[in-house]
Amino acid sequence: MADLAVTLGPLSLRNPVLSASGTYGHGLEMCHFTPPERMGGLVSKTVTLRPRPGNAQPRICETRAGLLNSIGLENKGVENYVETILPDMLGADTVVFTNIGGESVEDFAEIAARLDREPAVDVLEVNLSCPNVQGGKLPFATDPSNAARAVEAVRRATSKPVFAKLSPNVSHIGEMAQAVEQAGATGITAVNTLLGLAVDWRTGKPGLGTVQGGYSGPGIKPVALRCAWECARSVSIPVIGCGGIATAEDVLEFLAAGCGAVELGTACFADPALPGRIVEDLERLLDEAGRASIRSVIGSIRDGRGSSRDSAHAQGVEAR
Amino acid sequence: MPAPPPDARSFLAEITAIEPCGADAVLLRARPERAMAPIRASRFFMLKLLDGTSPLIPRPYSIYRQRNGELEFLVKVMGQGSRALAAARKGQELRLIGPLGNGWPTLDGEGLPWVFVAGGVGSAPFPMAIEQALAGMDGRAAVDPGSISLLFGAANRELLYDLDVLRSTGVRVHAATDDGSEGWHGNVIELFEALVAKGELPEEVRLLACGPDPMLEACSELAERRGLECWLSLETVMGCGVGICNGCPVMTRPEGPLGAWPNAKCCVEGPVFRADAICL
Repeated sequence: MADLAVTLGPLSLRNPVLSASGTYGHGLEMCHFTPPERMGGLVSKTVTLRPRPGNAQPRICETRAGLLNSIGLENKGVENYVETILPDMLGADTVVFTNIGGESVEDFAEIAARLDREPAVDVLEVNLSCPNVQGGKLPFATDPSNAARAVEAVRRATSKPVFAKLSPNVSHIGEMAQAVEQAGATGITAVNTLLGLAVDWRTGKPGLGTVQGGYSGPGIKPVALRCAWECARSVSIPVIGCGGIATAEDVLEFLAAGCGAVELGTACFADPALPGRIVEDLERLLDEAGRASIRSVIGSIRDGRGSSRDSAHAQGVEAR
Repeated sequence: MPAPPPDARSFLAEITAIEPCGADAVLLRARPERAMAPIRASRFFMLKLLDGTSPLIPRPYSIYRQRNGELEFLVKVMGQGSRALAAARKGQELRLIGPLGNGWPTLDGEGLPWVFVAGGVGSAPFPMAIEQALAGMDGRAAVDPGSISLLFGAANRELLYDLDVLRSTGVRVHAATDDGSEGWHGNVIELFEALVAKGELPEEVRLLACGPDPMLEACSELAERRGLECWLSLETVMGCGVGICNGCPVMTRPEGPLGAWPNAKCCVEGPVFRADAICL
């Protein structure tokens, strides 16, 4: 059986399959579908400093090749998360990422400081890139200096590893990746949703209550894959790929593009048992290909640059 | 943290029959890969046809009947997802996630009579509600058939799905149609008031309702006005059915039994809610 273990900087994961924020609850709710001990890690729904009731309905709208959403980070705030969710997560046999959101640098710093004392949290993933708050203006996701200030503030407030989740809604995601790397990020998650819109021309009614929202699902996979690849070749910290992944083949493509692990998002809505099945499929595909370790796939893209391989080396993983 | 029910699983099922039902619906029967325990009426499954071209997101369907190891669903053809399901063939594979949601409260024979109000395809959670109420639920006394009235409304008689089957259960069935092609000419709320006025329904009853939003609003208003207990089985857009996407919020009543949070998740806290717990 092929070895699926990977490392992401200081983190050791039993396999590269994680849940994406907002698509798997806080993690343990889904234990009857995929047990946590089968997952490389669980990423929580975004937690904010104060409670957020979320956006108006409709909040989701399916399109031909994916899903638009404008949930608006509905959550009961960090204190509720610490009191009601984290006690259960303490015993979870997997790496626990808490995804944090904020509307100001101070918000990010405060929530990071609050979670720094929580032993159940292994990693903070900083959501710089939710398109469904602050009028879709993405202030932390489109300006490298804003992104850097938020990551710096989190870095100063916690001793835990910090991953910065980037938006694909930028011209040069590599520059964003470099900005958060210089600000002290342990790693990068690439990417969040693309801005999108649906409308019924007969009635003029938009598909979402907020008109525009975040587009995810199989339709964004090539865009996400390119973004993840650009990030991986631009920085020397590990990159977690995310966007439209629905099969084990997709997972291996993101690894080939230079990612050390991946997050499954929209595909879990269609089947919450998918992460477990993808892990089984990964073992089978690697065995069929005669690969002893999944690490041999990481950064193996022949893009003529070799930088992805370099970054894979920097992640402390075997490049071949 | 509302979580999916502990008995919910993701599994495959083979379609064993698809039969037309009424003007625009089909009855889809499927045999799950593993045997299933009896399912409470008004719980639901997420259904997705594994044909490679069907929509990405599965669709929620109430369990309509469960017998001989098969699950049956009433599928009204409305959009892309239901069209794909209705066009499926015997032998094709489905992925099912479920059983999901809470289902109807205990339908006992110990208190007031029951009135079930169904609108169109909102009749789906009632055949099993009748079956389970007549058999006795949760160790409580069975309901006498004379103590259940089903008020079934639709635009016309072709949309009163399985009306004859419902009549054959022995409960009191009253139809209402907008065009007068069957039963009462008008809606189910007017029918309810007329039956009470004629003494054919007692004034004090317990209500269950499932149907279009305006009908549910009217039922909720009727219950409040008459001081009746009332439960509503809701349908919303759902992205997952298991409580993770936050795409199916139902507005809760301030100071209501669901707590202070403004939204409940229809999929894991419902689909059945007490009418006095939510705002429609």
